[in-house]
Amino acid sequence: MNRFVTANPSKCIGCRTCEIACALAHSEGAGVEGLAPESFKPRIRMVKTADVSTAVMCHHCEDAPCVNACPNNAIVYRQHSVQVEQERCLGCKNCVLACPFGVMDVVTVPAVRQFAGLTLSLGVKAQAHKCDLCIERGDAGPACVSVCPTSALTLMDREAMDETLRRRRERAALEAAEVAA
Amino acid sequence: MEKHMAVCPYCGTGCKLNLLVEGGKVVGAEPLNGVTNEGELCLKGYFGYDFINDTKLLTPRLRNPMLRRSRDAAFEAVSWDEAIQYAAKRLGEIKAKYGPDSIMTTGSSRGTGNETNYVMQKFTRAVLGTNNVDNCARVCHGPSVAGLQVTLGNGAMSNSIPEIEHTKCVLVFGYNVADSHPVIAKRIIKAKERGAKIIVCDPRKIETARLADLWLPLNNGSNMALVNAFANVLINEGLYNKEYVANYTEGFDEYKKIVDKYTPEYAEAITGLPADDIREAMRIYAAAPSATILWGMGVTQWGQGVDVVKGLSGLALLTGNLGRPNVGVGPVRGQNNVQGSCDMGVLPTEFPGYQKVTDPEIRAKFAKAWGVDSLPGEIGYRLTDVPHLAETGKLKAMYVMGEDPAQTEPDLTQVRKGFEAMEFVIVQDIFMTKTAMFADLILPATSWGEHEGVFSAADRSFQRFTKAVDAKGDVKHDWEIISLLATAMGYPMHYNNTKEIWDELRGLCPIFYGATYEKMEGLGAVPWPCRDLDSAGSKYLYEGNVFQRPGGKGLLFATEWRPPQDQLTEEFPLILCTVREVGHYSCRSMTGNCAALQTLADEPGYVTINPKDAKALGIRDQELVWVSSRRGKVITRASVTDRTNKGAVYMTYQWWIGACNELTIHAVDPIAKTPEYKYAAVRVEPIADQVWAENYVQQEYAKLKGGLSNAVTRAAKKAPAFA
Ligand code: SF4
Ligand code: SF4
Repeated sequence: MNRFVTANPSKCIGCRTCEIACALAHSEGAGVEGLAPESFKPRIRMVKTADVSTAVMCHHCEDAPCVNACPNNAIVYRQHSVQVEQERCLGCKNCVLACPFGVMDVVTVPAVRQFAGLTLSLGVKAQAHKCDLCIERGDAGPACVSVCPTSALTLMDREAMDETLRRRRERAALEAAEVAA
Repeated sequence: MEKHMAVCPYCGTGCKLNLLVEGGKVVGAEPLNGVTNEGELCLKGYFGYDFINDTKLLTPRLRNPMLRRSRDAAFEAVSWDEAIQYAAKRLGEIKAKYGPDSIMTTGSSRGTGNETNYVMQKFTRAVLGTNNVDNCARVCHGPSVAGLQVTLGNGAMSNSIPEIEHTKCVLVFGYNVADSHPVIAKRIIKAKERGAKIIVCDPRKIETARLADLWLPLNNGSNMALVNAFANVLINEGLYNKEYVANYTEGFDEYKKIVDKYTPEYAEAITGLPADDIREAMRIYAAAPSATILWGMGVTQWGQGVDVVKGLSGLALLTGNLGRPNVGVGPVRGQNNVQGSCDMGVLPTEFPGYQKVTDPEIRAKFAKAWGVDSLPGEIGYRLTDVPHLAETGKLKAMYVMGEDPAQTEPDLTQVRKGFEAMEFVIVQDIFMTKTAMFADLILPATSWGEHEGVFSAADRSFQRFTKAVDAKGDVKHDWEIISLLATAMGYPMHYNNTKEIWDELRGLCPIFYGATYEKMEGLGAVPWPCRDLDSAGSKYLYEGNVFQRPGGKGLLFATEWRPPQDQLTEEFPLILCTVREVGHYSCRSMTGNCAALQTLADEPGYVTINPKDAKALGIRDQELVWVSSRRGKVITRASVTDRTNKGAVYMTYQWWIGACNELTIHAVDPIAKTPEYKYAAVRVEPIADQVWAENYVQQEYAKLKGGLSNAVTRAAKKAPAFA
């Protein structure tokens, strides 16, 4: 099973700590000082409506519409997750339209190359931009999960999913017993 | 990488954290397992440290003392010697000419720490010879202190933060915990998971309202009517604890007489709430085996704040929800050390440790300890009196430390006039602020992260924080600056470190005596009262239901509801209520200089408005609009949201362009002198030319920022020797 991060709307307080942690985890080590409104593109987004506050992000679908939609096989299944091979991304935005959750985006970043100690600009490079479960952080896991002050975010893997299902079945059984009684 | 233990400088939760330091620079923060935060931080705790590094995103850090000899001159950098001599001379002259009561000082409820506050009030009382010392508790939880001191005898939270998650009912009144104290919000969520019932009284659909079992969206300005109706239900439905009331309270008959009129039906007309919801709330509250009331600015920032605080404590007394674990009354302090500045006696009425200036024995004790013949016994001025006192010539000099009244006080036009009228203004801060622009002398201090000390969390817990990096520039610790000034004014004052100060004040304050630096080592927290060296402090107050009043009983007190003071008219048909937002803090001099926090929210800020009101005015989401009141007019951005109730609009108070305090009214509570920030009549107007408006905002913002940073750079250039 692919792992994914889920948000519990009955715990989320809409504080956006997760958004900053996400942007920082993908800042190539630039640190907070690299953050600015123009370039702030977290892969997790807090959404607030009249009745709900919660965070939304990639579900790492098992049969992912974005994977299926990509004409250049830039989106792949790897390490129990859906990952983008950025060098293959064309920026065609098929995946953006295919994702039913609105959590895939295409962004452009300055493309540069290092040559003889100089940084050469090569215009811009498109990137399919979405949650990568912070795989670069290794065992530290997704940055958003680790900072959420109310523990509204959880990393769901097979084990966590099984535990959730077990609890749901138990509750269903108890409710059924109540109805019968 | 080095790690230095600190306490978050942003809110009263008092989260413990490590500052991560590399090459003399703070590069990160990680949570520690402190008593109040248990390994959590919110965005300000995690990402709110880079202001220390002088990012200049909003304002520059101060590096040198700066002086201007006349108000139309530019600041020039001067040596400490010159700055201190100048200050001593001017203050001395003013004191000689107009008397000690013509001078006022402030403590700081922010990063300076308790020791500095102690030294500031000592300077004010022993050296200047006046009780004119106050802090920004005046504009926030002043009414909680004033109210609770009368009814229960102690102005602080009766419970501790960790207890909140073990209570069976939380009554949240005028308190947006998600935005004010995110880590306390987690306690409420946990309480709910453990089966607690949550009742929220707030006109807006705040985050906790979303999670509540019962949400009472009362009309803005109807608090007292609702609290009286609550008491009415408890009494008339026989839900109150008769035994508790008989044994531990007084004033019941008088109390009953007043609340009798406030039947839920009567209150319905004032509060706009269905009578049955009012009943239901009290049935839930009274039925819970343990219940806790938490409140914030929605209770205190009113012309009738003190009365409502007394009323809320009455509900706890009626139901016996005091004096044991997991119950109580919690005025949850906003700024990180506003509890501390009150503890340290930066109040015109009290010495440190809540000892009254009007008590001759107490005065004699402090006079002896401080080596002066006598200390002033008359209650001093309040911070909110300052503009008026200055304009009428009673106040001639002001020494502002670590506060920015030209941003945070109500009716800023008045505030500016007040500063202009004064003969001598000293501002001691870490940043160039709007207030500093009115100063004659600016004294640069070290920041949180650059000094150590003790903070008091909202729940009375003393916690130590340490220094992480050396300060840059020619700056000094706040308490060192004050000591130098005292010495220059003929009162030799010298401390080697904060522990020396702490031990002096501990010795003078019986309720703090047992809270030693040793006990606060590492993650240690000591909640006062802590009278003995072998005591661990008091998690909750009023053990055994003994109240800290003459006779030991709690006082039941009610009074009639009074409508708010500003008048809605056709010209000004909407209510403006000022609020907080999660990512920014106080006047924003700190958070506005943090890249992450600034990225989430920047000028001109927002006015939130209900879709129906917006539609009627022809205003669309995210458009710039004008907001005006009888006192001023500002530009800001509309956020159209269903979470805002019809008829009211909300603005956060930290913006320079969208500065809501240009609009607020200087109407204060008669006792606490806390302003009615929660109710000003305003008008909101669309702007046809949005392109012009966007440019205007950018230009004004650049102008303001430029003014402040130029003042600093120009001063350094004029006297390069000290730069
Ligand atoms: S950090 Fe947690 S509480 Fe805050 S917005 Fe994200 S999910 Fe919600
Ligand atoms: S602002 Fe308050 S809740 Fe957030 S980390 Fe700091 S002390 Fe904790």
